[in-house]
Amino acid sequence: MKYGLVLYIFLMLPPVANLAESVMAIHMHMQMTLFVVVGVLMAPLYQKIFARFFEKWNSNGVPGILLFMVILGYWLLPRTMDEALSIPAVELFKFISLPFLAGVPLRDSWGKLSNVGKNTLYVLLSVIFGGMAWLYIASPVQLCNNYLIIEQKTLGWGFVFFAVSIMIYFISTLIIDPSDYE
Amino acid sequence: MEAVAKKTMKQKVNNVLGANPLDARFSIALFIVAFIAFFIGGVLGLLQGLNRAGILELPTWLNYYQVLSAHGVLLVLVFSTTFTIGYFYAALSHTLGGLLSKVRKLGWIGFGSMVVGVVFVATTIIMGDASVMYTFYPPMAASGWFYVGLVFLVIGIWLCAFGAFINVADWRKKHKGQHISLLAFFAVGVFVLLFFGSIGVTIEVLMIIPWAFGWTDTINVLLSRTLFWSFGHTLVNIWYLTAVSTWYIAIPKIIGGRQWSDTLTRLVVILLVVLNITGGFHHQIVDPGITEGIKFMHVFMSLSIGFPSLMTAFAMFAIFERSGRKKGAKGLLGWIKKLPWGDVRFLAPMIAMIAFIPAGAGGIAQTNNQLNTVVHNSMWVVGHFHLTLGVTVVLSFFGVAYWLIPHLTGRVLTPQMNKLGVIQTLVWTVGMALMSGAMHYVGLFGSPRRTSYTTYGDNATALGWDPYLLLLAVGGTLLMVGVVLMVYIAFNLMFFAPKGQTEFQIAEPEENAAPTPKWTERWTLWIVLMILVVSMAYVIPVVDMIVNAPPGSPPFRTW
Repeated sequence: MKYGLVLYIFLMLPPVANLAESVMAIHMHMQMTLFVVVGVLMAPLYQKIFARFFEKWNSNGVPGILLFMVILGYWLLPRTMDEALSIPAVELFKFISLPFLAGVPLRDSWGKLSNVGKNTLYVLLSVIFGGMAWLYIASPVQLCNNYLIIEQKTLGWGFVFFAVSIMIYFISTLIIDPSDYE
Repeated sequence: MEAVAKKTMKQKVNNVLGANPLDARFSIALFIVAFIAFFIGGVLGLLQGLNRAGILELPTWLNYYQVLSAHGVLLVLVFSTTFTIGYFYAALSHTLGGLLSKVRKLGWIGFGSMVVGVVFVATTIIMGDASVMYTFYPPMAASGWFYVGLVFLVIGIWLCAFGAFINVADWRKKHKGQHISLLAFFAVGVFVLLFFGSIGVTIEVLMIIPWAFGWTDTINVLLSRTLFWSFGHTLVNIWYLTAVSTWYIAIPKIIGGRQWSDTLTRLVVILLVVLNITGGFHHQIVDPGITEGIKFMHVFMSLSIGFPSLMTAFAMFAIFERSGRKKGAKGLLGWIKKLPWGDVRFLAPMIAMIAFIPAGAGGIAQTNNQLNTVVHNSMWVVGHFHLTLGVTVVLSFFGVAYWLIPHLTGRVLTPQMNKLGVIQTLVWTVGMALMSGAMHYVGLFGSPRRTSYTTYGDNATALGWDPYLLLLAVGGTLLMVGVVLMVYIAFNLMFFAPKGQTEFQIAEPEENAAPTPKWTERWTLWIVLMILVVSMAYVIPVVDMIVNAPPGSPPFRTW
């Protein structure tokens, strides 16, 4: 909780936020990811305070993951990045939605999901990220008003690494069974 | 409790039988190659030092840059890599109850591949077709066969790395719930770095080969340099991690102490693995075409490697003090007297550690943009890596050789040999202090590295360097004495020392040591984290280098 709050405040400091948002790849892959991490770190507190709520609305983890995917999908769009830069209200929404509507439900749902659910998520995320990689790398035109084509391509390659990392981890969970070793 | 009893039983068996002869033969073969490379590399080093001081003019058929390339390749790539692999394979064999036969085979195939690679590389250099230094920066182009040799070298390293992974995975399967030994843990870290660190340079070499053979016209110079240093700096830290493994594991045993916290040591390994590859950029801090923001970020990434090193420094002093106090040391620094200074197995790595204090500090200075501009490409840099590699790493390796070689060959380190070892260590220390000190100093005065002797038309500044360069040559000559002594000692321990038993030096944990948590063994997680850190560091600049690349460069032969 403590660390989550510290990270949250740090990320929202105007110079930090400005720096992070000045580079497209850092904006999407570091700032936004770290906001989700903030939510993940803070989740135990909310799980304690709103225990009944999570029990009632997220008993099998699926609604939480759906919410996570919706928020994630929203912030993958080039248009939303632009708006976050030009409309303060959208920037505020970014600061709130990624930790509390993506990070918190992710942590709450993760433990409740079955193996099939987790595996589906790994595959889905790497496929989506692969698609985004293709979009950002291959697009001949500028997708964001605020970022140049070169930054767009960089972001695309960032997606490639993200997708590959998730895939490697996913495959390792399939072929390596920790109980063989531990 | 049963597991502990079993373990000590196995250790007893190990101690009585000595090393597995088949595994020992593999490690000894690597050590033979290592020390031959060390000898030839040393001789070439002396030639350079004397030439650089203006004392010796090389014959026309031997070019300064040719000598320099061979010196670098033999010591930086061949000696260090073969020694590291030999040491860790011996460690895996000892702590995991012998190598699997398929792993041994894989190791030998890897060894063969490395030898083939070295033959290609050495031949092209001797023929004068590859005076490109060990960094082989394009647009300088060697004969294509030089790079083909490098490919074989890398394949050999990969085979050995995968052999190690297979062996460790197999052991863990058979010993559910147990931790691999700390030394094996270091081995995994080193082999993970060797594999992932060399991916970048492999891509580079595969780009260079068609260019060097003339099948493609141009090459992206900045990209090649970047890919090289993603490997180059990792390699530096692989030796360092190897040296550190002996500090944590062998030295406490030699000084009669106990191991430092197992968990924290493993954390040091994990941190070094995760943070390492991204350190490469600080070698390119003066390269054009990389924005300041990126360079600034990389200063952080490079300095972050300093953190586990400081943890190591703390741990070492703690080990020394604890063991000293157990032996009855009094006062604040009384434990210093209780250390076994006359034992070369301790003295050599101890001097290695002490040298790392100024060496590490110098490295941190060089990582900073402003300070780097003062010393960039000057002799200072050469002085720096002769202190880090030439003292910290090499003396740690020698410290290992004094007990590991006799352990493997079933011989003993006699008191006479120990004395000779102490003399070797002192000669080496004085020689390197003179040489490296002179290099640092003259570098501050602007003397460039990688340049054969010249007075620049008797320019006053250049003439002012001469006294230091002479000191450099004196140091180099002492080092040559050190090389001869060490090679004599190594081969003596391999083939001529009296038969007997030498123990593999592994310290026991403290009696009240806390159990090591399971998360340390989650290598997949560490590797994924490493990939994420690497992509954080490299994706933005590398895409920029490719997409906004200037026209490529054709190959140049500058010699």
